Amino acid sequence: MTAVERIEAEMPDRPARARPTPRRILPWLLSVVIGVLCVVPFLLVIAISFGRKIEGAAWQWDFTLANYQRFFVGALWPDEVTFLYLQQLGFSFWYAVIASLLAVLTALPFTLLLTRLSRRAQAAWLVFILSSLSLSEVFIVMGWDILLSNNSGLPALIKSTGLTQWLKDVGWFQTLRDWGLASPRNVKFKTSQFATILTMSYLVWPYAVILLYPALSRLDRSQSEAARTMGAGGWTVARTVILPAIRLPLFGSTLLLFVFLLGTYVAVTVFAAPAQHTTAVAIYSNIRGANLNAPFGATQAVILLLAAGLCLTLGHRLNRWAEAR
Amino acid sequence: MRVLGPLYMAFCVVLLALPIAVVCGAALNGGRSMFFPPRDPTLARFGEFFVSEPVWTQALVNSVIVAVGAALLAVLLAWPVAYLLWSTGSKLSRTLAALGSMPFAVPPIVFGVGLGFFWGFLGGLGAIWAGIFSHAVLLMALPLVTISIGLQGIDRSHLDAAATMGATEAVTFRTVILPQTIPYTISGFFFVLVLSFNEFIVMFFVSASGFATVTLQIFNSLRNGYTPTMAVAAITFIGVSVLVFSAVARWGDLPRLMGADQSRN
Repeated sequence: MTAVERIEAEMPDRPARARPTPRRILPWLLSVVIGVLCVVPFLLVIAISFGRKIEGAAWQWDFTLANYQRFFVGALWPDEVTFLYLQQLGFSFWYAVIASLLAVLTALPFTLLLTRLSRRAQAAWLVFILSSLSLSEVFIVMGWDILLSNNSGLPALIKSTGLTQWLKDVGWFQTLRDWGLASPRNVKFKTSQFATILTMSYLVWPYAVILLYPALSRLDRSQSEAARTMGAGGWTVARTVILPAIRLPLFGSTLLLFVFLLGTYVAVTVFAAPAQHTTAVAIYSNIRGANLNAPFGATQAVILLLAAGLCLTLGHRLNRWAEAR
Repeated sequence: MRVLGPLYMAFCVVLLALPIAVVCGAALNGGRSMFFPPRDPTLARFGEFFVSEPVWTQALVNSVIVAVGAALLAVLLAWPVAYLLWSTGSKLSRTLAALGSMPFAVPPIVFGVGLGFFWGFLGGLGAIWAGIFSHAVLLMALPLVTISIGLQGIDRSHLDAAATMGATEAVTFRTVILPQTIPYTISGFFFVLVLSFNEFIVMFFVSASGFATVTLQIFNSLRNGYTPTMAVAAITFIGVSVLVFSAVARWGDLPRLMGADQSRN
């Protein structure tokens, strides 16, 4: 573009510049709208987490750290110490870590295979993956609940095929009972950590595929081919060429899914034993459920948010450090 | 590898489809309880869900209102942010984009709790319009991404050409920018539509039992056990998702939207 053209191009703007043009109002308007809708809700949670519950009524604004104290050491500290709420947070982490790892590790080979198909086939697969991705948590839990319930589904199938009897004969039944996966009569999956983690992993599996897809589809295939020509086996290629190239997206996806799973509610309420419920379930029961202690619910939400933020920041740092090396 | 690969993909698909297939099969049950395989198969449950049972028809209407409203609003919110980000790249625009995506990035239950308080103060708790706004804000990140991808695909020389020929900013926007980004805008709209349709936890906090969408209604009915009518709802939702994403794949570039490399195939 020559200088004359540039001037011409800018000409139409000029007379309007003195008046408040849409170009000037827009950023301000947007800032207000996004500030109110996206930021204020989070600020409210933080503010209310310092509030106080009134017995028999709702709650009032305050600035007390009692809720935080209750979360970490219990309400009666220092006379009595309880780690109940920390334990719930621990279960949140435990389920989320295992489920996200399981999802990413099983989605990785699948996505790799997917990117090698033709463009049309990829689009068809993506439709299927996206459809199952968008499927509500409620439906997924319902499906697995039918599959894993004691009277129908897998346990009934296992019993009717005689597999239960066989397990008892071999002696593995006792092992299953030790793992909490069997009642005295038959195998059972409700309630168990196995069912909880399986469902949570299923919940994010399509997300794992979608998150890994861009990185894997950009993978330079000529490198793998070069390694192959030099005589490397499939496994060696995966380990020495593909894995190092996708290490960062792999780690990033796991982290994102982990943060997403920290807040899982339906799967945990249905499949986990009450003693092994998570912070998300506690948040619900405080805010809308039986306990009705909104400030304490808000406190737990803040801690969940902080935990998620901490993990994301740590992950980001680790990424930078790995990239710099 | 050559045999193992397709075998593994097939295994994944079977596992992925298993609970969905079970739910679909259960919808055909003749009785009031869920059995798999279905007993006394009938299609009567479809009639109950779509026509005769007011609890479900009302929930379906609510779901549709919330999803369509939220999708429209999310696109309207995301467009100026994406445009600002693309045309100026300023610090403010980057901050706005980051803040706009934040609700989608944190555990949804936290945003749900926050919105519960927020609408409580504004008097929108339990109102359907609050539900629409909530989903629009939650899912705004999706059109933000798709529209940004669309804007990045515009050849800057077209803009220069338009400017050289004396087009004002408004004319350029209408004749060059808008037509090229419409497929991406529509994709973003549909992504929000489908995810809003299926979203549960945020709506759970925002509705405060004031209204019920289909997912809420199903969760409420979980206590009384499953009924085949709930499975019909599941089938409907899967059907809608498949239809919508097929449309996006047919008229848009799904692999590109999902971030596939352009230079291949």
